[in-house]
Amino acid sequence: MSALSVENLSSGYAGAVVLREVSLALAPGEILAVLGKNGMGKSTLLKAVMGFLPKMTGTVAISGSEATRLSPHRVARLGVGYVAQEKALFQDMSVEENLRLAIRRPDFEAALAEVEASFPFLLQRLKQRAGTLSGGEQKMLLMARSLATGAKLLLVDEITEGLQPSVIDRLAGVIRSARERHGTTMLLVEQHLPFALAVADRWAVLDRGEFAETGATSEPDSRARVLKHLSV
Amino acid sequence: MTEARRLSLILAVALAALAAIFAGPYVLDTYSVNVLTRSLLYAAVALTVDLLWGFLGILTFGQSVFFACGAYAAGLVFTHMDFSTSNAFLALGLGVGGALLVAAIVGWLAFWHGASALYASVITLVLPIVATQLLYSGGTFTGSSSGLSGFMSFDLSMEAWFWLSGSFLVGVTTLAYIFVKSDAGRLLVAVRENEQRCKYLGLDTSRLKILVYLACAAIAAVAGYIYAGYAMVVAPELAGFVFGTELVIWTALGGRGTLLGPVFGALIVDYESAQLAGDYPFVWQLIIGTLFVLVIVAFPRGLLPVVFDVPRKLLGLLRPRTAAPATSVTLSTLDPASTQGVEPGDGPALAVADVVKRFGSLTVLEGIDFEARAGELVSLVGPNGAGKTTLMRCIADGAERSAGTIKVNGYDIGRKPPEACVALGVGRKFQMANVFETLTVAQCLQIARVRHARPSLWRRASDLPLPEAAMHVLATTGLDRQLATPAHLLSHGMKQALELSMVLALEPRVLLLDEPTAGLTKTERMQIGAILIDLAKKQGLCVLLVEHDLDFVREISSRVIVLHQGRIVLDGSVEEVVASELVKQVYAGSGHAGIDHETAPTPSQEMPA
Amino acid sequence: MIGQMLDIVTTAAILYAVATGLLLVFGVMKIINFAHGGLMTLGGYAALVTTQAGLNPWLAIPAAALFGGVVGMGIERFVVRPLYNRPLDAILATWGLSIIIGQLITIAFGRGVQFAASPLNGTLDLFGESYSAYRLALVGIAAVLGIALTALLQGTRLGLETRAVIMNEDLARGLGINSGLVRFLTFTLGSALAGVAGALITPLSSVDPGMGVPWLVNAFMLVLVSGASLLSLLFACLVLGGAQVLVATHFSPVLGGLTIAVLAAVILRIRPKGFARD
Repeated sequence: MSALSVENLSSGYAGAVVLREVSLALAPGEILAVLGKNGMGKSTLLKAVMGFLPKMTGTVAISGSEATRLSPHRVARLGVGYVAQEKALFQDMSVEENLRLAIRRPDFEAALAEVEASFPFLLQRLKQRAGTLSGGEQKMLLMARSLATGAKLLLVDEITEGLQPSVIDRLAGVIRSARERHGTTMLLVEQHLPFALAVADRWAVLDRGEFAETGATSEPDSRARVLKHLSV
Repeated sequence: MTEARRLSLILAVALAALAAIFAGPYVLDTYSVNVLTRSLLYAAVALTVDLLWGFLGILTFGQSVFFACGAYAAGLVFTHMDFSTSNAFLALGLGVGGALLVAAIVGWLAFWHGASALYASVITLVLPIVATQLLYSGGTFTGSSSGLSGFMSFDLSMEAWFWLSGSFLVGVTTLAYIFVKSDAGRLLVAVRENEQRCKYLGLDTSRLKILVYLACAAIAAVAGYIYAGYAMVVAPELAGFVFGTELVIWTALGGRGTLLGPVFGALIVDYESAQLAGDYPFVWQLIIGTLFVLVIVAFPRGLLPVVFDVPRKLLGLLRPRTAAPATSVTLSTLDPASTQGVEPGDGPALAVADVVKRFGSLTVLEGIDFEARAGELVSLVGPNGAGKTTLMRCIADGAERSAGTIKVNGYDIGRKPPEACVALGVGRKFQMANVFETLTVAQCLQIARVRHARPSLWRRASDLPLPEAAMHVLATTGLDRQLATPAHLLSHGMKQALELSMVLALEPRVLLLDEPTAGLTKTERMQIGAILIDLAKKQGLCVLLVEHDLDFVREISSRVIVLHQGRIVLDGSVEEVVASELVKQVYAGSGHAGIDHETAPTPSQEMPA
Repeated sequence: MIGQMLDIVTTAAILYAVATGLLLVFGVMKIINFAHGGLMTLGGYAALVTTQAGLNPWLAIPAAALFGGVVGMGIERFVVRPLYNRPLDAILATWGLSIIIGQLITIAFGRGVQFAASPLNGTLDLFGESYSAYRLALVGIAAVLGIALTALLQGTRLGLETRAVIMNEDLARGLGINSGLVRFLTFTLGSALAGVAGALITPLSSVDPGMGVPWLVNAFMLVLVSGASLLSLLFACLVLGGAQVLVATHFSPVLGGLTIAVLAAVILRIRPKGFARD
């Protein structure tokens, strides 16, 4: 049974179809990187799966549960963690409150231990306002938050945007170890090609709302094939 | 239907309404004539609420104050100065003048650049509360809570008052109807629907709102003046919040944005209130309240459209709907000699010097410095978050940037708002197609021309002269064959083309385009590309273009500026940019030029806060 | 001097009690609940019924909360929810509800002015000034309300989720928070608070079918200058309420009645965010 199964999904904004009849399936524990230039439908794909955008056609199932018509909070409660590209933290709340909001399981302490394993510095900053963290620290808090929820499926929108190489490396390490330890399935929307190829099992390029090409990251010509779609 | 026929039809209906008013006192009983005289005047005020709320989108609770202005002017003058013909004119002048003064103050408070719709409504809500309190505190001068009564007034019969009120209502309704259906009146709907686009089409929307507000205040004041003359009593309740909201209720029940709906809503509800208030006062108010909530929730367009739709649907069952009438607007090309737009000043078409933009502590643009000449097509590229759209915004709105100077055609844009930047020659096309959804293609284009061709207050123009560039876009995309199509029915690509033609109709010198090809098909992109090259080469426009599609950039640009993390990293020819290793890395790695993709977790590293 | 200080503090307390419910609803749902005035009237009559039945006047407060809350539930479900995307229409519809509540009360209780028994009578000596005991008690009650609400918002899961919805509704939904439920509960609580406010002001004034309306506009203006923060609301009540007392005593009571509305309008013109942070 697929951890995430999307069939013929179309979505977009009033009047403009951005995503056109896209299908994909993720096996449990699989990491897929969705690449592509801006405006090609990458974020739209995640928002449509979460139920933030209307699904004009198609169906979505999460671990076999029908999720096409669910509102975002119901999708989240199926064990889906969504990390939006922008405004993904409550800036005026403390680090702890940001974590508490996402972590619905009763053993908050155990969840904190999870956070400590990946990002120990956050434990010392629990009372700090999230908005006062640096850009890199905010992204790490985002990652920590979605992993600590125990989500089985993560939808992550450009977590690497604007980050220093060292932070990107660290996020890559955390993602790989989360998959090893918990078998978390992930759909990563990325612009950072080296990061995407390093953490994902498969890649797919979205071009004008459709998958133009897909491949396994183990194939040696992946980088060249993706770049062909990305830039000059 | 020709313009003359359309106007004569309106006048014919108005004459029929006048005839009905004239017949009124002969068929109605005295009591009804008496009550309806008041209702007719209230209806005229409800009409102004509809102009403001239904057409312009300003929910107003304060029209009662302007009514009271006219009424109290009469009451005060006739009480304290005696009634005479000259005093009657004085009172009318004071009433209208006072209303205009109050409206100007309120307009200045409520319709400034950037005020929200809620804030404007709040101000109109405070207004009646302030006004009633002032009337209460006026002592013997205003008569305090009991108001003024027993003053002399015009010696007219009850029938004459009915005819006067009725003719006034028919007159203002007819004028308002002709106005809202005219080219100028369409601006009201355009502002309600998309105020931002209006500003970027060079329209001073604050000024337009204030002008309409002033006119509505004057109409309400005249209605109040007639009311005082006929009722010979004025009371603070006339200025009150309750009357102000009743006007809104009548407008909502009748149907906002229909003019006739609010007029009939006011007539029927006020007349029935007077009939039933004696027997079942509270039950009647309860019914009105319940009906009001029901209409707002379930029939936001009001009852008049519902009443009209039912027979229309029944008729529609009997005979097939006739096709929409062809548009009566014909396009023509303006003489290129007269479409040069703003006179060019000295120096380059666009000069950006040391521009900085900060959001709080976050710096989005820093040290942006470049110039572009007329006839140049400059592409602005760079990954997400590089600051491209922010830069466009800074050029089109003087209030946006944090530091630096921007000159368009040699004129410093200073802190000018968007509409003033348009006047200097800036034309901005937004990323998402930004048009007036409910208006037709021709109407959208007409609004884009308002800056150059003052629209008529009563007529609909049958021809629409456009600059060559706009005509070219329309002809290439085939939009010129869809002039009567409402914009919301257009495809995404056609909307983009329509917005481009609208911006070109402004006769800009500097054209800012934010991703003009996003979401377009291959053919459409090629068309747009050819048009842009043409605009730069033949028309001598300076085009600044944000674009992600580097293939497209390569095809059309003479020069490329690469932005990355808020700074210009490269400014050169297309070849230079394509060959640049730096640019490749910026794109492939979101800017972490040089990092190896052999990432290894390094958990010991701590980021500085 | 002392008397004036006490006037300012007690006036601010009353305004605070009246405006909290409105603030809560505005913060979470971004709509102005014009039925607030009607719900206050309802609370006033709940107090009247309670005291007329010979019950302890303090019982009026929970009774008013119950009435307000139950009616609020119905309003949220059938009127406010369908208007989620039309905030200006929500203002109108809730104003219509205010009319309906007022007329139903008129039909049930008549139009006349009535008086409810006060839970506290007489005066207290404070700093050498003899002052109405009930007005002083209101300061305590408003403080309890403020502290209880702050505890609810800062110390409970529901409060945390409510604050999350206030700050960023989409983000909250993405984290599995049922924002529809949060809205429903908030509106119910806000309506209950409106009822309580109505019961609290009855001993100060009379009970009549239009009693809530004069309070509505001041409460509404206070909320607009406060944003969604209970703390800035307290500040706004002290500053604007204080200004009202000063204008009323030194100039004229009529101008005093306008002070809050006019000052708030001017403050918002100069600083659209009012007293809110950022």
